[in-house]
Amino acid sequence: MRERGFGRWVVAVPMCLLALATIYPMLFTLNVAMKSRREYVLNQFSLADHLTAANIADAWNTSGLGRYTFNSVVVTLGAVTLLLLLGSMAGFAFSQLTFWGRKWLFLVCLGALMIPFQVIMVPFFRVLGQTGLLDTHLGLILAYTGQFLPFTIFLMTSFYSRIPAEVIEAARVDGSTTLGVYRRIMLPLGRPALLSVGILNALFCWNDVLISLLVMQSEQNRTLMVGVTALRGQYSDNIPLFAGGVLVAALPVIAIYLFFQRQITDGVTAGSTKG
Amino acid sequence: MTSAGEAITTPRRTTARVRRWHISEHKLAPLVLVTPALLVIVGLRIVPLILGAQYSLTGDGARNGMFVGLGNYRALAGDPVFRTAIKNVGLLFVALPVAVAVPGILATFLFLKVPGHRFYRSVYFFPVVLSPVIIGAIFNILLSYDGPLNQGLGKLGIGPVDWLGNSHVAIFSVIGVHIWATFGMALVIFMAGFSTLDQSLLDAARCDGANLPQTIRHVVVPELSRTIQFVFVTTMIGMLTGMFGLVYVMTAGGPGGATYLPEFYVWVTQGQMNSPALASAASMVLFVLMLVVGLAQIRLIKRVTKEV
Repeated sequence: MRERGFGRWVVAVPMCLLALATIYPMLFTLNVAMKSRREYVLNQFSLADHLTAANIADAWNTSGLGRYTFNSVVVTLGAVTLLLLLGSMAGFAFSQLTFWGRKWLFLVCLGALMIPFQVIMVPFFRVLGQTGLLDTHLGLILAYTGQFLPFTIFLMTSFYSRIPAEVIEAARVDGSTTLGVYRRIMLPLGRPALLSVGILNALFCWNDVLISLLVMQSEQNRTLMVGVTALRGQYSDNIPLFAGGVLVAALPVIAIYLFFQRQITDGVTAGSTKG
Repeated sequence: MTSAGEAITTPRRTTARVRRWHISEHKLAPLVLVTPALLVIVGLRIVPLILGAQYSLTGDGARNGMFVGLGNYRALAGDPVFRTAIKNVGLLFVALPVAVAVPGILATFLFLKVPGHRFYRSVYFFPVVLSPVIIGAIFNILLSYDGPLNQGLGKLGIGPVDWLGNSHVAIFSVIGVHIWATFGMALVIFMAGFSTLDQSLLDAARCDGANLPQTIRHVVVPELSRTIQFVFVTTMIGMLTGMFGLVYVMTAGGPGGATYLPEFYVWVTQGQMNSPALASAASMVLFVLMLVVGLAQIRLIKRVTKEV
């Protein structure tokens, strides 16, 4: 069904406007980040005189964003590794194996989806404190793993159930053990799924601010997004520098989006339609 | 080293042992695969939930650890800041239909393959992947009192609005930005729903001479009822639990507590106010709210477990 002629324009105009409304705030910020403070005060809308990354570089050098970026990378990589490992193991079992209590255990995993972090924040904080994991990378990695594992299991189960049972039976006939099937079949065949789920989880961990604010107490352990929230006070009188700092923090995500758009939307929709 | 004689006399025993080992591997392996994940989920989600529920019934400060019954819940009911937070949840419910209808209509257009639909989809989805903190920071610039939005409005002869500083306006600014930032998510889910739509139904509608609004009303909406329901639930849960970053960066709960939401209240009460037990009680209220919304989701979960 294709709309033709007049109808097409009735649709195209609002869509164009909305696309503009979606992208303009980002372009505006990019433009601001290229300006000097004086240029911005004189005219906020004018295009920057010349393309320069001076503000971005300044923000990077004066704000400690480098240290925060390192923390974010460590924590994100750690959590994503754990999530993919635990999620693919459980996803394989739930989608392809029969065992006692499978349905109930799966229900427990899905039920945990309905427990947002805000609800368990207080006891979580206390337990981390008691175990000495507060304000450590490992503590935050565990927090993220707990937070995103139910969703990861859900996605991996739905991805893995697409692998035909015959493939696994064939491997068994050839004498492979269940764990061998996991290592030699589910992991290689599930690569596209692992990529989708991994990128999605990486975005979740990278973008989080609530959990990170709670777990990381000292300034040197801050993650990048918490660092960005501190920029506002730091550069309150210099908007272009603030914009530069915001861009620094946004760039990795923008790059990931440009490269892996399809994998991201695949992951998101697997969680909605297969469910 | 086994002697040849032994090898000849024991083949039966060996195969029996192999088979027995194989059976137990068969039974054991799924548990080995599932146990680590279950330990994490029980230890890091379910146990803290129980601890939190229990903790919400104890006192803060000098009465730390003492059982106070529903005292914290009574304190919440009497706290004007918490009442504002709950009132703001009411506003979220009012905004919900907008947050679902906009992406729904757009997805319909995209499904009809207006020119450039791929491009639109990428653009609309982009803010979804950005951190709320980044988005909040961007809108901090755009919505500041002497910022670009007010300057633009000034050129149209509309007086400046204190988007983030006026206690009647700020919560709408934050909700608006949240919808702006997340409608791409609902859009993509809608489009996935559309891809499962039976094309022959649409053809039939066209043969019968149905126009676009009629087709949407009589074919698309009934066929996509499950998707629509899913989007309603996930959008509402996203509003209840995904706005912390925006509130934190854009208004920090102000002005005068006007932009508090339950999750922000929990965070402030736990951290700044140092009243963890009261925060736990607020957590439980949020959890109940979530459950009410999530009950709709149980239907969907049932469908999955049927598949498994």
